[in-house]
Amino acid sequence: MQLKLADLWTNALDQVKTWARVNSPWVIHFNSGSCNGCDIEILATLTPRYDVERLGIKLQGSPRHADVLICTGPVTRQARERLRRIYEQMPEPKFVIAVGSCSISGGAFHRCYNVIGHIDEVIPVDVYVPGCPPRPEAIIDGVVKLLEKLRGAKTQSANAEQEGEWRDDNRG
Amino acid sequence: MTTGSVPKRFSIPIGPQHPALKEPGHFDFSVDGEVVTGATVRLGYAHRGIEKAAENQNWVQNLYLLERICGICSHIHATAYCLGVEKLADVEAPPRAQAIRVLIAELERVHSHLLWLGVTAHEAGFDTLFMYSWRDRETVMDILESLTGNRVNYSANMLGGVKFDVTDDNRKAIERGVNFLETRTRHYLNVVTTDQVFVQRTRGVGVITREQAEQLGVIGPTARASGVLRDVRVEAPYAAYRDIPVQPVIETAGDLEARFVVRLKELFESYRLIRVILEQMPPGDLNVRMPRRPKAGEAISRVEAPRGELFYFIKSNGADNPERVKVRTPTLCNMASVLVTAVGQQLADVPMILAGIDPCFSCNDRAVTISKAGDATSAVWSWQQLRQYSQAYYRRRL
Amino acid sequence: MTTEDRLRQAQEALSPWAQEADAPEPVRLDIVLDRSHLPSAVAALMNIRWGYLVAITGLDLGAEAKQYEVLYHFGSGAALLTLRVRIAHADSVVPSITGIIPAASVAERELSEMFGIRVIGLLDQSRLFLPDDWPDGVYPLRKDAVLEK
Repeated sequence: MQLKLADLWTNALDQVKTWARVNSPWVIHFNSGSCNGCDIEILATLTPRYDVERLGIKLQGSPRHADVLICTGPVTRQARERLRRIYEQMPEPKFVIAVGSCSISGGAFHRCYNVIGHIDEVIPVDVYVPGCPPRPEAIIDGVVKLLEKLRGAKTQSANAEQEGEWRDDNRG
Repeated sequence: MTTGSVPKRFSIPIGPQHPALKEPGHFDFSVDGEVVTGATVRLGYAHRGIEKAAENQNWVQNLYLLERICGICSHIHATAYCLGVEKLADVEAPPRAQAIRVLIAELERVHSHLLWLGVTAHEAGFDTLFMYSWRDRETVMDILESLTGNRVNYSANMLGGVKFDVTDDNRKAIERGVNFLETRTRHYLNVVTTDQVFVQRTRGVGVITREQAEQLGVIGPTARASGVLRDVRVEAPYAAYRDIPVQPVIETAGDLEARFVVRLKELFESYRLIRVILEQMPPGDLNVRMPRRPKAGEAISRVEAPRGELFYFIKSNGADNPERVKVRTPTLCNMASVLVTAVGQQLADVPMILAGIDPCFSCNDRAVTISKAGDATSAVWSWQQLRQYSQAYYRRRL
Repeated sequence: MTTEDRLRQAQEALSPWAQEADAPEPVRLDIVLDRSHLPSAVAALMNIRWGYLVAITGLDLGAEAKQYEVLYHFGSGAALLTLRVRIAHADSVVPSITGIIPAASVAERELSEMFGIRVIGLLDQSRLFLPDDWPDGVYPLRKDAVLEK
């Protein structure tokens, strides 16, 4: 009986959490070696013409307050540890959007010696937004796709399984 | 109280992750209370190795790589590279192409300066101005998109000319946009020079004197705000600037307010240039034939990016790939000025001083680890220790 | 002062040390120096307040020449002066000019980490662009650099 009540509570709490998260995901932005073309487009999506705040999205300064990490650029050797650290500092459940061609494949910089690769070689990615740079509309579309995904998410990250694999691969 | 063992200076790490914009740079400010006593910088978070990569790609591929050094001033990078390679190949782009290059460069300057205005206002906590200037910036983004098909990384240049023409429809849209922006810019100039609260954050803050500016090798609008005329468009005109002279904007105060005023007044100059170019657009071809391999030799090309002088050194040995491409971006020259002017300022003003030279940044992730100034070991302070220190500090001051 | 006057003025100021002089373009002047004369030449330029340091370029002249070339670009108006210093691969050392131009420190740090050229007298030798875990002894802009991802 007691167990059942606890389950009920957890379920209700989950629903409230998901509701809150979908209504107002807080995002944090990190540039791990991009040309900042994507960064200015991300900023443009926050400003009056595109205004993602109407979807409840707020840009946050600290990873500890954020639900969603928006990454731009390929990952440089120096930024790799930082990117990983920022991802690990975020509370569960957490989600990642990779914005721009370089963050998906290395793009124009795939041959550069200090670029170790794309974002999903370092942290798991939920949504990819291609383009060089993607238009603000495309970034909003990516965010909306993520919100749909969030609706299905419970207390655990939707890619917890993938993340487990990634952890195993990257440890040691 | 153990005041004796409490270090008198902290070092506050700022970056590389910060929510405002652009390059992830890492700064370390040592402070005594609220006053900055020293500063160091660590770059390289966005170092990709483009100069080396450029040696392994052919001349045309490099155009696209170098355009992506910076997303904000992408066109001017491509222009500098094209001018250099054309010099090596002994080819000159037709006058119409030169005019279109300058037209897009000036539109890019408008977009960059409006972007800077917003971001720097944001660093001061003046988000209203941030939102307004970015709203108006969309006007110039629309113009650039209608001209080139992309909002950022326009790819307008090609070796030997440009890819896009300016049609009559474009011309009308540009004129409409520029007229609107001119009224808005006049309003912003009024705001940044008269708004009491804002002026208190900018007037007399982060002063770079004329002597300092000359000694530190400061360039671009930062130098012009300190009374030093450094503008490649004026000193060594290139492309269509040879036919359309630029009136330089100079301020002498050298503080943050002067940097606002210089950039905003430069916008008026850009609007004037855009109108003149549209009026005097020479007819003719958009590009000329380029040899696939430029002759062996060295070329230097200097152009005025929105942030200051951009310098390209290109060496060819007559092969498919360049022998060496050296890029010196304006921020590298201006960075030293931040480290010097930050000393003696209030910590709260540091974000604005940094943003003042136009590498943007905000300092939300401060106070993670606190390293003792003077030695390399860093220790994390407990809340208790921090509290004790602050109490002792203010007791001493009373 | 016209560009020609400026270049002539620079040439006169540098004449005690100039080994070769060349004008690849009308607005440019290239002067070849021995590295031991570099600081005095730069000081002479600064004494007559000739322009400012625009950039320092390193060049690897390849396995045959076994030389590096360091180019110090100075600008004054449209005039562009380049001081060229050649050094052997085996003896890749140049004197620092930060004593005369403090702002050169960033450019010299870049030179030394990209080419492995030792800059004598440069106070801050820490890394500026390359990552903290970059292997010692690998200098990316050398032509024979072996770079792994």
